[in-house]
Amino acid sequence: MAEGAITRPAGLTRRRAVRRARLPRVSRWQAAPVTAALLVFSGYPLVYLVGLALTESTLARPLQSWVGSDNFRNALDNEIFTGSLWRSTLFAVLAAAGQLVIGTGLALALAARARRLGLLGGLLLLPLVTPPVMVGVAWKLLLAPVGGAVNGTLALVGLPAVNPLGDERGAFWTLVVIDTWQWTPFVVLLVYAALLGVPEELREAAVLDGAGHWRLLVSVVLPYLRPALLAVFLLRLVGGFKVFDIVYVVTAGGPGAATNTSTYEIQRTALESFQVGTAAAETLVFSVMVGAVATIVALVRRRAVRAER
Amino acid sequence: MSRRLLTALLAPVAVLMAVPLVYIVSLSLRSRDDVLNGGLLPSEVFWRNWPDTFGAIDLPRHLANSWVVAAGAVALTLAIAVPAAHYTARARRSGERLLSLVLASYCAPPVVAVLPLFYLLRTTGLNNTLAGLVLVTGLANVPVAVWLLDGFVRRVPQEIEEAAWLDGLGGWGVLRHVIAPLIAPGIVASGLICFFLGYNELLFALSFAQETSVQTLPVALSLFQGDRNIQFGRQAVASIVGVAPVYVLALLAQRRLVAGLSAGAVK
Repeated sequence: MAEGAITRPAGLTRRRAVRRARLPRVSRWQAAPVTAALLVFSGYPLVYLVGLALTESTLARPLQSWVGSDNFRNALDNEIFTGSLWRSTLFAVLAAAGQLVIGTGLALALAARARRLGLLGGLLLLPLVTPPVMVGVAWKLLLAPVGGAVNGTLALVGLPAVNPLGDERGAFWTLVVIDTWQWTPFVVLLVYAALLGVPEELREAAVLDGAGHWRLLVSVVLPYLRPALLAVFLLRLVGGFKVFDIVYVVTAGGPGAATNTSTYEIQRTALESFQVGTAAAETLVFSVMVGAVATIVALVRRRAVRAER
Repeated sequence: MSRRLLTALLAPVAVLMAVPLVYIVSLSLRSRDDVLNGGLLPSEVFWRNWPDTFGAIDLPRHLANSWVVAAGAVALTLAIAVPAAHYTARARRSGERLLSLVLASYCAPPVVAVLPLFYLLRTTGLNNTLAGLVLVTGLANVPVAVWLLDGFVRRVPQEIEEAAWLDGLGGWGVLRHVIAPLIAPGIVASGLICFFLGYNELLFALSFAQETSVQTLPVALSLFQGDRNIQFGRQAVASIVGVAPVYVLALLAQRRLVAGLSAGAVK
């Protein structure tokens, strides 16, 4: 070491010293609290779940005796759970895609209308800060088969009554609609902000080249927004996998198992049927699946960001 | 497209957005027999739900619980996320790596943490306490806050920080005297967003705080569903009382909130 220091040309050392001085000086310890948070909230649960999944536990007494892969077999043999994986994925993808398309459309319309959101900005925030429990109750009653406002209105204009919550497909789509109602404003706000970032020169150049409204949108604006759109899609996709409140309030997983998403099913297995080991195994399977889906979207986004540079 | 045409296109969307919210207000003014009257308005205004709700459940208690949990969680989240965001934005490679790790942890659905945290809280005696719920909710929102704040720190010109190093400030000093004052609007916005998330959270509150004395508002609202004769009118009253202050907060801080959300989007 000492020898190296002597033989190293003086100029290099100085340059290195200067570069080091310019390096941002952040203390390593600034990352300590968040590292601790990650350990408690993600690291420990993961390790503990593996333990729970491989053993027999009750809520009162965890980690009683080794059972090997029994819990995983229980989880994967349970059609309600394996079905919930597919339902959760379908729900997350449909809701996120719907919110992205509608939200982007609205944001484009808003941006074309004015450079400032004004009062609308405030109104868009309201669904975001409304408890999903309350949103769920409102929709459930609006859609009540007898005496709900939707059927009341349909009857007024002479249309037949509907009962979407009564059949399997209808209930599933109703939840997608409710989630979309609540979260589309979020997409609008984010995409609107990203739209304001589109450089004016880029638009002007395209207009000079004779691009019309439509062409400008498809060839200039949307490609520019792609990384932001994919980020928003990823956020909402992850949000879709987390859906719990509206399932709990509106359908309780039914009719049958039509709206039994994985988060709902796991919470029930763990804290209502008290099958701790099975729930832990289910959780691990579910996380692997969410991780896989999220990774795919994240990779697509990274490629989009790279392509832009 | 003309401004007027766009407004005409957007107006029905605004109405659609408002219907469920207006409907809740209308429900709060209906007697039990009038809840399913097939219309958007009560056939007869029924004020009794309002006093009755306060008699049926301890609404002030649930509200206080929700505020304590949400505010306490925000304090915890920011205490962790503000230094972390300075690190992720400025520590180059290692910062990027930490940011990816934080965002990856956000992808895991919260239900993953339910069982392990249940045992952790019970072992530490924090099950069925507001402190336990503050801890869990605060930790859960850390990724959101780091993600938003990172964007704010990155917008601070590095030269300002360099000047502070010359004055002999270290990482924490720079954070406290330079970065924190400059990103104050971002801290407020992220804090508010985390407040709303904590205020509306149901899964953890339902799993870790079952006793009436520590139930938050969303839990109390969800419990109306369990009754054989659901008192929708009272449930609506409780919803409105709970959400009104939050709406006021959101509208007052509207510009900051929108700016805060944008910081995440434009990255």
